[in-house]
Amino acid sequence: MEQEMFNQRTDLSELSQAVEQIRQQLGKIIVGQTETIDLLIAGLLANGHLLLEGVPGVAKTLSAKLVAKSIAATFSRIQFTPDLMPSDVLGTAVFSPKTAEFQFRQGPIFGNIILVDEINRAPAKTQSALFEAMEERQVTVDGTTYKLEEPFMVLATQNPIEQEGTYRLPEAQLDRFLFKVEIKYPSLEEEIEILTQQHQQNTQHQLEDIKPVLAITQIIALRAVIKSLFVEPKLLAYAAQIVHETRQNKALYLGASPRASLALINSAKAIAAMAGRDFVTPDDIIKVATPVLAHRVMLSPEKEMEGLTTSDIISQIIKKIEVPR
Amino acid sequence: MRILLLVVLLFFAEDLQARQAVKPVLSKPKDSMLLKLDSSKTQVKQFDNETIQRYKSQKEFQYGDEEPESLSWWDRFWRSFWNWINRLFGERQTSSGPSIWPKVLKYATLAIGIGVIIFAVFKLIGVDFNWFTGKSKAVDVPYDEHLENIHEISFDEEIANSLQNGNYRLTVRLLYLQTLKQLSDREIIDWLPNKTNSAYVQEMVGENGHEAFANLTYQFEYIWYGDFPVDKVSFAQIQQSFQQFNTTLR
Repeated sequence: MEQEMFNQRTDLSELSQAVEQIRQQLGKIIVGQTETIDLLIAGLLANGHLLLEGVPGVAKTLSAKLVAKSIAATFSRIQFTPDLMPSDVLGTAVFSPKTAEFQFRQGPIFGNIILVDEINRAPAKTQSALFEAMEERQVTVDGTTYKLEEPFMVLATQNPIEQEGTYRLPEAQLDRFLFKVEIKYPSLEEEIEILTQQHQQNTQHQLEDIKPVLAITQIIALRAVIKSLFVEPKLLAYAAQIVHETRQNKALYLGASPRASLALINSAKAIAAMAGRDFVTPDDIIKVATPVLAHRVMLSPEKEMEGLTTSDIISQIIKKIEVPR
Repeated sequence: MRILLLVVLLFFAEDLQARQAVKPVLSKPKDSMLLKLDSSKTQVKQFDNETIQRYKSQKEFQYGDEEPESLSWWDRFWRSFWNWINRLFGERQTSSGPSIWPKVLKYATLAIGIGVIIFAVFKLIGVDFNWFTGKSKAVDVPYDEHLENIHEISFDEEIANSLQNGNYRLTVRLLYLQTLKQLSDREIIDWLPNKTNSAYVQEMVGENGHEAFANLTYQFEYIWYGDFPVDKVSFAQIQQSFQQFNTTLR
């Protein structure tokens, strides 16, 4: 009866189909990690950049590659190393003896899906080369600005900061990532499943079997649909209150920016659309609050020494704020 | 730099030599240095009484016998305040000696009194006390909050008002909140303002009416969060489903 009463105002059938296809594709190779897969898809639909964090060997790079392979778009991979230079990422002007002029040679950033592997192994100088590209979707070299093609998405992987040879990413860069997706160790059952799959089949071969399920035009259209979803004003206030509280909370040394508020609403819209709704509920906001906010805030030194994490504080903040209804 | 260092070192070395060279020599006192008696005539001078009297008559020299200045009203207030406090908490003798409790009570009362005054002053000037408690200042939100607490809402009255105004959307919201209150009163759900509707649906798993409550939640979310239009006909259906659910709770 209810479904009849509330006929969809927005056609989400194409989106639901696309989401299901990507889930299936990723599910073929990645065992478990359903929440991670959903966040990856939500990030793609919300037009955001994703940071995948996990210890070595938990399929961060594989997950990013699978998302990239699900889309019929140009794909670049940049391995971030300590000696990587900004020009290695953005491109550089090269002198052409034939024309006797300098010609701009595009770097690997000129693509649709950019996999930045081990992003926190490069120093801040190289990190800052990504700022303009990630936020403004353009690159400026030698005074000339080059627009990046849509869709443009950075999928970065990193090891936790405690790992040897890693740097902490600048706050300005962390703020440009829509989500930080923490990839955890699989459960015992999942690990057995991984071993069984590996034993029975060739995973590399399976990876080659992954075919694109979404064209560039489809992604652009789906993103427009998501942008148009309805958000009740009370929920806008609820999201703003959560972000505002990160700036007031004594356990946090640095609160989230207004960009975080926008990210919270945009990603909640993507989650709502994936659930087949054309409006946002408090559950959608809560679901994305930690992936959106945890990497944008900084713990106070005392709380850090107590062993708390930013995710713990975000959870506490959510529990403090009344759900609008 | 090295030359400067060398010069400094040489200078101090020279000084050291000079200090070593001068050694005190102790010798016997000579005869000419022996103590001799002073036999010269001394003249005793007397104080001039007239001058003393003249000085005494001057105001600047009258130290001890000045009249105390009259106390200001502020000083008089404090003196009477302390006298009152002392009378109030005057030490009392007990069988085991003087009791310390009057003193403790006196200073505790004073501290509380001062605290209350400081609090009142801070409140008057609008100091944010949330800084101490770690809670954030309440943020103004662009909607009425008077209907948020389900235990304070007069449901029958509010539902009648919203129906009279033809506001079916608000009526559905009130019906849903009323259902939550009934579930909370019957301890089927644990009501907390920070819980989402899906959390309550999860709490109802295994309970009688779980599915019906999930449907009511679905309707509420589409109408309230989704802003789906509700007309008289659809409202009648929704109202009926709420009434049916509430009947099963009784």
